[in-house]
Amino acid sequence: MLSIFYILIFPGFLFLSAFGLAAQFVDRKLCARLQNRVGPPWFQPLADFIKLSAKEDIIPEEANPSMFKLMPVLAITAAITAIFYIPLWSVNPIYAFSGDLIVVLYLLTIPTLTFFLGGWYSTSLYSRIGAVRALTQLFAYEVPLLMSILAPALLADTWSLKEMSLFYSAHPFFWLFNILGFAISMIALLGKLEKVPFDIPEAETEIVGGTFTEYSGRLLALFRLGIDIEQIVGAALLAAVYLPFGLGLGPVAGFLLFVLKVLTIVCMLSILRTIFARLRIDQMISFCWKCLAPLAFIQLFIDLVLKGFIVR
Amino acid sequence: MGLVQKIVTWSRIKSPWIIHFNTGACNACDIEIIAALTPRYDLERFGVQLKGTPRHADVLVCSGPVTRQIKSRLRRIYDQMPEPKFVVAVGTCACTGGVFDGCYSVESGIDKVIPVSAYIPGCPASPKAIIDGVVKLLTSLEDKEDKKK
Repeated sequence: MLSIFYILIFPGFLFLSAFGLAAQFVDRKLCARLQNRVGPPWFQPLADFIKLSAKEDIIPEEANPSMFKLMPVLAITAAITAIFYIPLWSVNPIYAFSGDLIVVLYLLTIPTLTFFLGGWYSTSLYSRIGAVRALTQLFAYEVPLLMSILAPALLADTWSLKEMSLFYSAHPFFWLFNILGFAISMIALLGKLEKVPFDIPEAETEIVGGTFTEYSGRLLALFRLGIDIEQIVGAALLAAVYLPFGLGLGPVAGFLLFVLKVLTIVCMLSILRTIFARLRIDQMISFCWKCLAPLAFIQLFIDLVLKGFIVR
Repeated sequence: MGLVQKIVTWSRIKSPWIIHFNTGACNACDIEIIAALTPRYDLERFGVQLKGTPRHADVLVCSGPVTRQIKSRLRRIYDQMPEPKFVVAVGTCACTGGVFDGCYSVESGIDKVIPVSAYIPGCPASPKAIIDGVVKLLTSLEDKEDKKK
């Protein structure tokens, strides 16, 4: 019974959907204010979701119907599953085992793969170009993201998120050494969420709607919700890895601190997406391999030196 | 069922996504439509978003008289939009064909090819008129729901 509560209500589907929609509002409102606009009202993401759910679902004749319908559900499922292994407001996640860090990173890759498969099975030319771009982009940002998240894990000498938060609670202010990795994973997360400097797969001005060109109605609503949930889970992962303080505050204060951390990361993502313009796919890839990956190596080096000389 | 229908109507009014299609306009109305979407008028406060693909859109914003060449394409784009969908004709040419009506290459207004829900006259229609027209279309949606009861 308790697992069903975890999966469906808290911190599973219902909580994450509500939080995801709220974060989408924060994101859009902040973006609008930065552009000197008024911005959407608070219920806008909810209205969008309900409207899309009540619209007609069109499945293209050429498309593979079962894959086409399965992909949005899979994207949401993978994103929700990842939250169970992330410590939210205490050092204990809901489920933990040694090596869950890798599992979380793997689960966060699945939404991108569903974008690829969904776009591919739409069989429209635009969605196929978007799908291939999504996959190309995956190879560019995934390596810096993985390396910069593994650096704090290396310092804590564990692959488990629970052990990591225990280590950083025992050694306060060690997270300050991981600021560089935090910046790298923030940029990589922009690529994962396909936000503006890296929104190449759904570039509306070039390839119509990219991966989601053929999606309409309920399936599109699910995909959008999946991206919102992925944003929350990604931000929660970054908060757990790079901002591991205040984990012993108790449920209420700890929960508020968790929400604050996630919203801070969402706001930073939204500022980044407002001040940059879209890159080309080749620029994006050379940036990730020539700038982000070496910086991630520097972060690894910093943590190795720290581990050798201070922690022992 | 009444409550659900009410919520759905509310969400439709609060979140109209548009797609802009030039059916043969001289570009003046297009510039005004783009101007209406800029931060100065900020249509996002009404939930309006410009979408690239007809599959995502609720409102097809057309400008210009329908030329013979674009007729089949306009039909196709209209058919690609999921229900419920609305069409807004922006500018005098889109409403009636304007000065181009009767020209050998021009078919006439948009409503000769696809059903139109709102007409916004003007040469070109100003951004304020376009916003007013879209808001009137959305409020008419609410009235229709009331009449059904």
